[in-house]
Amino acid sequence: MNKKIIEGLQILSISLIWLLFTGIAVWIVTLIRESLKLHDAPDASVGISIVAIPVFFLLASVLTYVFVGLRKGRKEHTER
Amino acid sequence: MEYASAEPHPEAALLRPIENPGKSFYYIVGILLVIILYTGFVYFRQLLYGLGVTGMAQPVTWGFYIINFVFFIGISHAGTLISAILRLSKAEWRRPITRMAEVITAIVLAIGGLHPIIDLGRPDRMMHLFYNGRLQSPLLWDVTSITAYFTASTVYLYIPMIPDIAILRDRGVQPRWLYEFLSWGWQGTEKQHKVLDRAMNILMVVVIPIAVSVHTIISYIFAMTVQPGWHSTIFGPYFVVGAIFSGIAAILVLMIVFRKVFRLEGYLKHIHFNYLSILLLIMSLIWFYFTFSEYLTGYYGHEPNEMRVFWYKFAGDFAPFFWAMIICNFFLPVALLCNSRTRTIPGILIASISVMIGMWLERLIIVVPSLANPRLPYPTGIYIPSHTEWMLFLGGVSVFVLGYMVFARFFPVISIWEIQEGRHESAKAVNERIRSYMPDPEPTSAAE
Repeated sequence: MNKKIIEGLQILSISLIWLLFTGIAVWIVTLIRESLKLHDAPDASVGISIVAIPVFFLLASVLTYVFVGLRKGRKEHTER
Repeated sequence: MEYASAEPHPEAALLRPIENPGKSFYYIVGILLVIILYTGFVYFRQLLYGLGVTGMAQPVTWGFYIINFVFFIGISHAGTLISAILRLSKAEWRRPITRMAEVITAIVLAIGGLHPIIDLGRPDRMMHLFYNGRLQSPLLWDVTSITAYFTASTVYLYIPMIPDIAILRDRGVQPRWLYEFLSWGWQGTEKQHKVLDRAMNILMVVVIPIAVSVHTIISYIFAMTVQPGWHSTIFGPYFVVGAIFSGIAAILVLMIVFRKVFRLEGYLKHIHFNYLSILLLIMSLIWFYFTFSEYLTGYYGHEPNEMRVFWYKFAGDFAPFFWAMIICNFFLPVALLCNSRTRTIPGILIASISVMIGMWLERLIIVVPSLANPRLPYPTGIYIPSHTEWMLFLGGVSVFVLGYMVFARFFPVISIWEIQEGRHESAKAVNERIRSYMPDPEPTSAAE
């Protein structure tokens, strides 16, 4: 397969990971808003979101760091 | 099979399952696919006719599906948690084990996570969770924590695999585009190694609390209710201990099978089995301590509803399962693993299979008796799993075996680069570490 297509797929995969994790964060925030509106255990809601949302973003950040780091860490001649 | 450079690799034994899987691989895959297809048909029948085709009824509304959910998620602790602990503690003997363990986690989590959906007569109602989920419910906490654990475990499995994927890419193994895509231009430069090490260090630390939280939260599904036999403050740690216990047993079984099938005797040596089996022995003792403590507290309180469940397990309909659990999880493994003469590979295999059966029985004993003897004045419930439930259990196990085989067909189950790194750097690193914590020798000669 063409190198350009593979690179495109790699960038697409990273974007999809961010999209997925942002989606999860948005979902959790929506549930918190709902629970606050209904006075339905808001403490548990906030507690879970405090733990869950940063975990997802941390994972996405680590993956991005690896992907960007590995590209930058390649030998000079192959980058051209 | 089209592939690869004919150049011999120093770790050729690890590449053999990928480059020459053999005919038996395809036969076994075929058999597993037949089982899985039949399981799919059985599940489709459940979709058509509803949960009436299962053995579940009032008051026992949770059966095999929830038992298997807890069991599979428990086994998932084998991987990431144990691998992260071994990596963090710089246990050098971990090198041939970690990848095998991490793969268990990723596959088993996917299977276990599906079970609550299978348990829904109307799986389309799962979507309600996204629109109208209530964060008050521990079931929703589970969805969040299992998703976090699954993603963290997959990332934790994938990142240390990158150098090995690059080896396969460079050898021209097919499908090359896949290895090209997954290796992210790995060339093994110093800078790339630094990036990989840093990412793995972060993940090791992150993954341990996530893994612990997952099984704690699964225990909350039971402990947050006021059902007799479930409402316990030690359920969190009890479940985590049980999960690690069954996880170690699962790794040992897989290691023994892979060692035999792929002739990996040079990589998986007796010392690896010895260390892990001692860990299994310790976990067996800790598990027994928790079980004893859990039941003694309930018995001492003598609360009537609690006692109904207690006697149902100890001397009632579930007594055979309860005592089988005690034998499988405690007496048999302790008897086999305490003695160095029986702590052989066949002995360890028997102890590990025994623990896996025992831990499955433990999940059965936790889920069913409390529902069969509710606090409300109902007659004692009966639960007999149907053909559908047995088949979905078998299907789940088949998906696991197939998933593992497919993984082993495309990726090395033992980390090649970590083995090579160990060969070159372990002895020096261990020496330096020992020197760093040993007291300096007395400067006797100089003083004299």
